[in-house]
Amino acid sequence: MRRVPSFLLLGVAVLVCLYPFAWMFLSSFKTNKEIYQPTLFFPSDYEWDSYAVLWSGEYLPFLDYFLHSILVSGGQALLATFVTAAAGFAFSKMSFRGSGWLFGVAILIILVPKQALAVPLFEWMAWLGWQGNLWSLALPGVASGLGVIFFTQVFRKVPDELIDLAKVEGLSPVRTFVALLPLIAPALMTFCFLHFILSWQEHLLPLLLLDDENLTLPIALAKLRDSSHRIPEAVGMAAATLSLIPVVFLFGLCFRKMKTALVELSLS
Amino acid sequence: MGGKTGFSLLCLLGPFFALWALFWLVPLGMGIDLSLQSPDFRPVHRDAVLPENAPVSSSLTFLDWRTPQEEVREDVPRYVGLENFEKAIADSKFHKALSNTVIYVFGSIFVILPLAFALAVNLHALARVPRGVLVFLLMIPGLALPGVLSTLFYLFFHGRTGALNQYLVIPLGFDPVNWMMDPNFIMPSLIMQAVWRWTGLVTLFFLCGLEAIPRWQFEVARIEGVGPWMRMRSILFPGVRHLAVFAAVFLVVDGFAAFSGAYNLLGGSGGIQDSGLLLVTYVYQVAFPGGSGRFDFPGAAAMSLLVAPVTAFLLFLLLQARKTFFPR
Repeated sequence: MRRVPSFLLLGVAVLVCLYPFAWMFLSSFKTNKEIYQPTLFFPSDYEWDSYAVLWSGEYLPFLDYFLHSILVSGGQALLATFVTAAAGFAFSKMSFRGSGWLFGVAILIILVPKQALAVPLFEWMAWLGWQGNLWSLALPGVASGLGVIFFTQVFRKVPDELIDLAKVEGLSPVRTFVALLPLIAPALMTFCFLHFILSWQEHLLPLLLLDDENLTLPIALAKLRDSSHRIPEAVGMAAATLSLIPVVFLFGLCFRKMKTALVELSLS
Repeated sequence: MGGKTGFSLLCLLGPFFALWALFWLVPLGMGIDLSLQSPDFRPVHRDAVLPENAPVSSSLTFLDWRTPQEEVREDVPRYVGLENFEKAIADSKFHKALSNTVIYVFGSIFVILPLAFALAVNLHALARVPRGVLVFLLMIPGLALPGVLSTLFYLFFHGRTGALNQYLVIPLGFDPVNWMMDPNFIMPSLIMQAVWRWTGLVTLFFLCGLEAIPRWQFEVARIEGVGPWMRMRSILFPGVRHLAVFAAVFLVVDGFAAFSGAYNLLGGSGGIQDSGLLLVTYVYQVAFPGGSGRFDFPGAAAMSLLVAPVTAFLLFLLLQARKTFFPR
């Protein structure tokens, strides 16, 4: 009996987290009239029309946008993971003059988020002539202040004996870093996944930086729901459902490693 | 030591700092430079023409910025010193956006952290498998695009017949709330959206912190007959201390950059009486005003730069708070 409030709290929380998404999925089969009744859960019939519309690209080339999102977020997350892991390794395991100062400078990024720098970034890209292509979106997010802090912490946990051993074996620091990567695989996957989500959700920069044919998912979704209400709501719901699939899939893959990494990190 | 180590350092730190300089330092420098210029002066590479349909509220098809505009005003001085900053500081709408954002950030932190802690403690008492499944499910809103969350908020939760009114407000005996139109409820709406989005992730953080607590500590507490409050204070809180700070920093950084949710929910405007106007939305509005408005890039740049000290101050406060609450 003591457990009842506990189950109640968890049950309500899970319901609030899950029910709207189930509603969203089922709404991709509904008519506009049905969607505007939020308390209605099941559609009257199941037609996959709205998915077919997205597939055929009738309103916008949804598949292209989907692919762009995957490329940009995936590329950015992988690059960010290795670039910031290398920096984190150097900051925690190598002693050199000015390392503290350099670390401070590196994490200044956190104070001025790239969203706040959107306007000058936009001008800079225009000046470079990169504006419009996907690189202009993928690269600015790679230098991540949170990543440097995260990996500096992670590498602090790696025993110094391993580094000394590598030194005795005559490995260069770069080789040592590469050799240590499997050891911190859970942390690498955790950060990669978190960064993937952040990049997947980025809205302002693609809005400013990308050409019309190179857009990404968040903008595609906003376009599908533009104020003219020309497009059936069900299509937006179908797109929203599809946009959730890759992230949930990745999350399923990373979930256990993520927990391992977080448990290890909190032991300090 | 010597050349070899130097080369290794270059290989390890080089990529990060190259990107850091290219995509953060240069834009920051340009932002500072831009913020000192007069909005009336338009150097050649910045010339742009606003097309008929402005980008702000409706369609997101973006402007072609490379269209040259011939009219370069020669009579206006290029640099105007700190005028843009003075203008921003005197701008009441900027104050509104700033205070809204601070309320948004703190409101969401003060709801999310305790709620996530309560959820994590309750999850911790479960067996391993259901625990994992439930955390996974709680995380789902955090995985969705903010635009999707806003759409769901708009269609599902809000509205006279929406879930919030039907399942919560009316059963409790209140009048249905007009969430999007009543200025008193726009901010709570945005905070609720943030809570819905991030509580799962923070719960996962806390749960991992709790799982890292050695089992003997609970055993000792049980044998000594320690009460629930002492157990909480001396075992559970210290267990999640670091992760709580990390989560709070993450929420502050994310809250200040918040754009997508409010943008989708309010269509790029600040909502009724600007009660839902957040900083990034306002900066965007100043930079790319709809209709007949004039691009004010320098003004927008000055505002962006004013955000940095505020964020720094908040993070400083957080770290101070950590020292007060969790000495050691």
